[in-house]
Amino acid sequence: MFDKSKVGQSFPPFTIEVERGKIRELALAIGDDNPIYQSKENAQAAGYPDVPLYPTSPTTFAFWGNRKMVGQLASLGINLMRVLHGEEEYEYLAPTYPGDTLTGVMRLVDAKSRQTQGGSMDLLTIEIDYTNQHGTLVLKARQVAIVRE
Amino acid sequence: MTTDAQVPVKLYYEDVQVGDAIPKLMKSPVSHLQLVRYAGASGDFNPLHTDPKIGELVGTGGIIAHGMLIMGFVGQLLSDYVGPTALRKFGVRFKGMTRLDDVITCTGTITEKYEADGAARIAGKVQAADQNGDVKVTGTFVAALPRRS
Repeated sequence: MFDKSKVGQSFPPFTIEVERGKIRELALAIGDDNPIYQSKENAQAAGYPDVPLYPTSPTTFAFWGNRKMVGQLASLGINLMRVLHGEEEYEYLAPTYPGDTLTGVMRLVDAKSRQTQGGSMDLLTIEIDYTNQHGTLVLKARQVAIVRE
Repeated sequence: MTTDAQVPVKLYYEDVQVGDAIPKLMKSPVSHLQLVRYAGASGDFNPLHTDPKIGELVGTGGIIAHGMLIMGFVGQLLSDYVGPTALRKFGVRFKGMTRLDDVITCTGTITEKYEADGAARIAGKVQAADQNGDVKVTGTFVAALPRRS
């Protein structure tokens, strides 16, 4: 059973620069060869000011921007070998383009325990709020991790 | 800061009706090479997704794909349909594991048209399923669309 006193805990902020090359790399790994993700020139030719974020670019901000994430999750008592990814959700609140610098703050916002036939599981909701260099909240990421006991 | 007015329009509010199907997206079979590329692109180096030995040790029976890769496939569906900068919200639940050689098809339907803060919005549901119809991901999205008039 998860220690619910940790709900509300937040971790030190991390920063990540939005990079064109990381957007292109993600699109290509997904198998999306849409030219708007490939270069600034292609994006501008299609009418965008620069390469737009891929819909799932926020996952790269979390993994590449917060290299301490695995240790931070472990500090909550989460055994990463027993974690399943339950849900992932993004709210895109303001335009974000390469060259922007985002500051992310990760927080444990909820923890629920559920009894199952094989034992119990904990559902942990983790949010990351991203603010840009102008102080504007541009992105909210929400994840539910399922931790099997 | 960039405004929405500077991005191209893929779809107008008037052209979408509740019940419309989003043009489906069928992906190439998931390959080991793709998972290695996706690990590098996303920064998620959990060996469950790249090392067959680990998969056997923890009982998943070989490599399983990153759930976030499948969310990325659904992201491509939405990027193709409304364009990446029209998305306001995109969330998924992970329902099943994807294995090598699975062929994922992404589909979606428009469920709602409404106004929020004086702007036109559409909402829809999306899913990704394999060649046997086994659902891997279900989700929802909200997009902001311009009006013709």
